[in-house]
Amino acid sequence: MLRRFRLEEPDSVAEVAELLGRFGDAAKVYAGGTELLLVMKEGLVQYERLINVKKLGLNKITTENGTVTLGALCTHHELEKSAILQQQLPALVRLEQNVANVRVRQAGTIGGNLCFAEPHADPGTLLMAMGATLVADKGTSRREILAQDFFVDAYETSLAADEVLTEIRLPRPAENRKSAYLKFGYLERPSVGVAIALSLNGDEVSDVKIAVGCAGPAPKRVAEAEALLSGKGKQEASRNLAQAGVIAGKASQAISDLHGAQDYKEHIVGVLLKRAYQAAVG
Amino acid sequence: MATAMSRHGDAQTLPVSFTLNGRLQEIDVEPHELLLDVVRDHLGLTGAKRSCDVEVCGACTLLIDGRPVSACTTLAFEVRGRSVMTIEGLAVNGKLHPLQEAFIEHGGFQCGFCTPGMILASKALLDENPNPSEDELKHFMHGNLCRCTGYKKIIESIMAAAKKMRGSRA
Amino acid sequence: MQFQKEVEILAPREKVWAFIWDVDRFIACVPGCKDAKTVEEGKRYTATMTEKVGPFKVEFPTTIEVLEREELTHIKAQASGADNKIGSRMKIDLDVNLRAQDGKTILGFVAGVDILGKLAALGHGIIKRKADQVLDEFAQAVKKKLEGEA
Repeated sequence: MLRRFRLEEPDSVAEVAELLGRFGDAAKVYAGGTELLLVMKEGLVQYERLINVKKLGLNKITTENGTVTLGALCTHHELEKSAILQQQLPALVRLEQNVANVRVRQAGTIGGNLCFAEPHADPGTLLMAMGATLVADKGTSRREILAQDFFVDAYETSLAADEVLTEIRLPRPAENRKSAYLKFGYLERPSVGVAIALSLNGDEVSDVKIAVGCAGPAPKRVAEAEALLSGKGKQEASRNLAQAGVIAGKASQAISDLHGAQDYKEHIVGVLLKRAYQAAVG
Repeated sequence: MATAMSRHGDAQTLPVSFTLNGRLQEIDVEPHELLLDVVRDHLGLTGAKRSCDVEVCGACTLLIDGRPVSACTTLAFEVRGRSVMTIEGLAVNGKLHPLQEAFIEHGGFQCGFCTPGMILASKALLDENPNPSEDELKHFMHGNLCRCTGYKKIIESIMAAAKKMRGSRA
Repeated sequence: MQFQKEVEILAPREKVWAFIWDVDRFIACVPGCKDAKTVEEGKRYTATMTEKVGPFKVEFPTTIEVLEREELTHIKAQASGADNKIGSRMKIDLDVNLRAQDGKTILGFVAGVDILGKLAALGHGIIKRKADQVLDEFAQAVKKKLEGEA
């Protein structure tokens, strides 16, 4: 049984922001509820008001002028079935197909996933590698946050208290831009996740973006590992993979817990990086 | 008929009009009420079970507009204007659904606890994909856990039902 | 969970020792700790420990018992508290050591931290990181306070 709360169902983002500003910690944005309701059931949080944001029409997927825009309220299911994404961002589709289980994918939203910032989550890691931009809206003003700057810590994002995540924007990848996301885990949530995006020009690998997630408190880009692969020929990049893996493992801020020992997770980061690179390069 | 789980002074209630197993229902719920509790305790349909309570096991699976959800983690008011199916609504006029028949014929259940969720989830699978490969079936059914059967008979049951359902469409 | 911290303070040992027993100033160094009270001088204290991880807030009314005390050298204490709102308990076994070195003081402590109840559901890893952070901040705050008043 949940504790009693009041449901608010505003019609605009401005109204949501106003409610959040007015009620502060006593109110919370409620979308699919697949994370929020769990911690409410546990009694770890309680709110006087839940603000239902599913009536704002923020679940569209569009592509225009080289940008793919995902509404924050798109469910994982809507993303995996999207013809636009299947064509433009197949790596994201594959990720979304494998989030949790079919029931969580049905109700859970990409925005909710990102904003709850549970460490053992998938989308954030790949969105970072894909150079995504998140749009934070408070009705009177909006701002853009790079995905790589969005995650501050476990369960903590750089959204202000009265901001609503409304859109996720991704650059439409060029023909020679490849990406891959691999994860590993044997518990209910993933233990390690690695994303890579790169451009292939003949033999040259360039503009490499690597992100690691799940192992530590928040997903991170790993510039030092990227430098070992970027602007290199395929052979040289392959030779550097092992070292890049070690660096990425350390950068993941892995901590020993039920998901695995620190050194184990760091090792898995290296393994997944190698495989993700090979999947991307083909 | 307007009903409610419990009233608390001037507690907020929401009118919920929805189709339940093909019939119109109109109830009042408080925002915090969970769908599983409303369906089991209030509407008396106890096929869906509270098991893990964290959306992992699938024993509470219900279909909303034909799609599987965890009733344990769905607020009851969310079914406003939608159609809900529970296991009790699968058989029509006493005639079992091919999935139910297949689970019986192929031994797809032992204790039966996971079975309502299993059958509803597999119905959603076959509605989406009438001819799934075993990999596709396993992927879809990944979130429905069974402690008894070891899954082999469940897979056989679903595949058999799928074949029968495809055949009867010819 | 076990933690070990050591901090070098540019102040003589007597000053550091005195600071530890100055409850209000000492407690002010513990991040999120407030309302320190002396129940029995040198033996028993109470305080409220608060902490926040994203949307999760805890507030532990805490009792601190001094178990052993070796003048200028060593303190053994135990802190325990419960947050009934979220059904969690906290226990810290603390071993504090002071060592003089060339007019400086090496303040070291070993902390055994146990979090029981619902909060543990957040994940061992998160709590460990948070506890580590808090202890780091605490050590640095003590150092800063003492050196700042040189």
